[in-house]
Amino acid sequence: MADTPLINFASLVMMAVVPYLLASQGTMLAGRTGLFIVSQEGVMLVGASVGFLGAYLFDSLAAGMVLAMLAGGLFGVALAYFTTNLKMDQFVIGLALFFLGLGLSSLLFKIVVGVTLQPPIIPTLDRLPIPLLSEIPVLGPILFDQNILVYLSILLSLFLYFFLYKTSTGLSLRAVGENPKAADSLGVSVTRWRYATTIIGSMLMGLAGAYLPMVYTGTYTDGIVRGRGWLAIALTFFGGWSPQGILLGSFFFALVEILALRVQVTDIGLPHQFLRMLPYLATILVMVFAFRRVRAPAFLGQNYDRESRTSS
Amino acid sequence: MNNEPLLELTGINKSFGPVQALKDISLTLRANEIHGLLGGNGAGKTTLMNVLFGLYKPDSGLIKLRGQPVEINAPRDAIELGIGMVHQHFLQVNDFTVAENIVLGTRLPNRPTMDLSGAVEQITELSIRFGLEVNPKAPIAALPMGVRQRVEILKALYRGVEVLILDEPTTHLTPQEVEMLFQSLQLMVAEGMSVVFITHKLREVMAACHTISVLRDGQRMFTRPRDEVTEEMIVRNMVGGDIALEESLLFSEAPEDERTYDRQAQPVLDIQGMRIDGEATALVDSVSLAVRPGEILGIAGVAGNGQQEMVEGILGIRPIAAGAVLFDGQDVSGAATEHILGLGVAYVPQDRQQDGFLPKASIAQNLILGAQRQQPYSSRRGFMNWKAIYTSARSLIAEYSIRAQDPKEPAANLSGGNIQRAMLARAFSRPIRLLIAHNPTSGLDIPSVEFIYSRILDHRQQGGATLLLSENMDELVLLSDRIAVIYEGRIAGILDRSTFDAYEIGRLMSGANDDD
Repeated sequence: MADTPLINFASLVMMAVVPYLLASQGTMLAGRTGLFIVSQEGVMLVGASVGFLGAYLFDSLAAGMVLAMLAGGLFGVALAYFTTNLKMDQFVIGLALFFLGLGLSSLLFKIVVGVTLQPPIIPTLDRLPIPLLSEIPVLGPILFDQNILVYLSILLSLFLYFFLYKTSTGLSLRAVGENPKAADSLGVSVTRWRYATTIIGSMLMGLAGAYLPMVYTGTYTDGIVRGRGWLAIALTFFGGWSPQGILLGSFFFALVEILALRVQVTDIGLPHQFLRMLPYLATILVMVFAFRRVRAPAFLGQNYDRESRTSS
Repeated sequence: MNNEPLLELTGINKSFGPVQALKDISLTLRANEIHGLLGGNGAGKTTLMNVLFGLYKPDSGLIKLRGQPVEINAPRDAIELGIGMVHQHFLQVNDFTVAENIVLGTRLPNRPTMDLSGAVEQITELSIRFGLEVNPKAPIAALPMGVRQRVEILKALYRGVEVLILDEPTTHLTPQEVEMLFQSLQLMVAEGMSVVFITHKLREVMAACHTISVLRDGQRMFTRPRDEVTEEMIVRNMVGGDIALEESLLFSEAPEDERTYDRQAQPVLDIQGMRIDGEATALVDSVSLAVRPGEILGIAGVAGNGQQEMVEGILGIRPIAAGAVLFDGQDVSGAATEHILGLGVAYVPQDRQQDGFLPKASIAQNLILGAQRQQPYSSRRGFMNWKAIYTSARSLIAEYSIRAQDPKEPAANLSGGNIQRAMLARAFSRPIRLLIAHNPTSGLDIPSVEFIYSRILDHRQQGGATLLLSENMDELVLLSDRIAVIYEGRIAGILDRSTFDAYEIGRLMSGANDDD
């Protein structure tokens, strides 16, 4: 099967889906318990830095991924602690963590590698063609000849869908974000769920960051995330805070990203900056026109205090 | 009847900051009994039950279940011990169905199909056994308040509770629904359960309870069997010495005589065919009402039948789709809220937390809210005159006995009843022609209620018009010259004072005329 330009293009889009998908599902998961993470960009930068350094030092991409997730998880612990135990504002802490991640990612790289014109390179993630399925004409090379994280992130989305909507544990989780007091009064621990989802969500963001050096560049550079973290927040709204919506939306966001790259190399008279703007624009349009259907969790961004007498 | 104590609370203390809400309270619950817990606002009824349910941590005290000391640190512990609570504000997830709300948090097997049919069967069985009719598959947000309350009770029954606490359960119910609720409660205690019924409504306690306890200022005044108490005894203990029962409006046996006012006078407020559209259906439809000088027009209705929207339409908070609102014969539909209020309208919203006050602003700021651009609070150049504001705040705090240390403290420090007093102080602190009050006495203690009733009647006496929306039937019957009943956004009927009848009103409130 010869690679036609279109198949090639579609395959690149599939590849670009991963960071959006992981970071947005992480955002959605925590948001469903009412904790609104806004530190994606910073956590992804740390994930990229730690993931690269881990892979470089231990000579193993898997080690890099695990370390990136651990680093992301630590950010999640911090966010959960400050907002659930200390009841500090979620946005303030989230933005503080973004800045922390921004500086830390660069610092870590410089401590370990130093300032150099010739940064070390790690091997990129191999393609993992699935036997038989990858032989299917057209669809095979697009869907089933990808790296492992493409498969995993899509499987994760499907898993999240079943978990949230088809299990009683998912029912409890959703209740925490919709009405924490109701959940609490039925013995569902708000704090525990917020910790769990924020840590897991932040781990997914760390992994999303690590994906970038491991698939695209082979090395870490400052600002490697290029706004994907902020876009992940937009995508979460775009996808209506549901795993399936985010899965669909991530294809759109990835498509625009690849399109913007293409336009950059094949001059068609449309500035690529314009295309880079599209996902944000699309999100605004969705928010404006479909806001009634696209409903965020009712207690998104609000801390819960059992003994508070003013919030009900 | 079984005399074994099921649950014993001993020496419970609880403080919120400097306020001691519970002072060394002890209470004993027995099986097979409905235990009425009465008290004014701030008496500590709800706080005590929140301690029992694990929502509040007591500063000291002991809880014993069947003679065994137990530790309740969270609602989870309470539920495991068989204690359930139905809160005044329902704790339900609007997005979920009835069944989902009920099974939430129980250890349901995690099946990938989310098959709730087993649970649905169990819920249906419970609802038949106790006369609590619901459709388990209905989405909860669409249900009327009476049904949502049954869901709250079923939530507790589904968990197999033995002690059920009901916090002000009749607030959202029609008289008929209240009677059905009492029948269900009797069925429960007949099976060995113990029910705690928190209320400030005397008649309900006398009608339904076997044992009655009265709390005041965080202390228990007495606990006695129903047969040994009289209404007067309860009131004296709820209120303390500071009420003259003989002159009380609230407990007057026969409501006063026929009232007179000029029925031909030009209405202060004239609503003509008002319609307000919601997402799918009209929230308020073809409502025409007139309130004349010296008249109190009561609006009866189960909560959520368009009362809130109607008021917001009158005040220009919500756009009206059709019809007109006239104030003194002058069309004000579409005018800005500030303009309408400036014509001499005062509004006491029902949801004090949401619409009534600013929790983080000071009490003084809340007391002048709406008049902050007027002299003497503000100079012509727009500078605030804090001296005048604090002077007026101090006198209002004294006049309305608002329990506050200082007008500068944040309003959120006030208890619900004191916030309500502050809002009424604000409404009456300016010259007004029309008072719009929505559930003005909800959650207030008896002296406050008396005080507010007398203020409203004074306002009427001076020729002011009043639109009184209330879910408290006794209040409407006591105060109103006429009562209009609203059902699903339409006026189902208007009764004159001489023809007031709680059952007829209840029938209209439940939409009984729809079938005709």
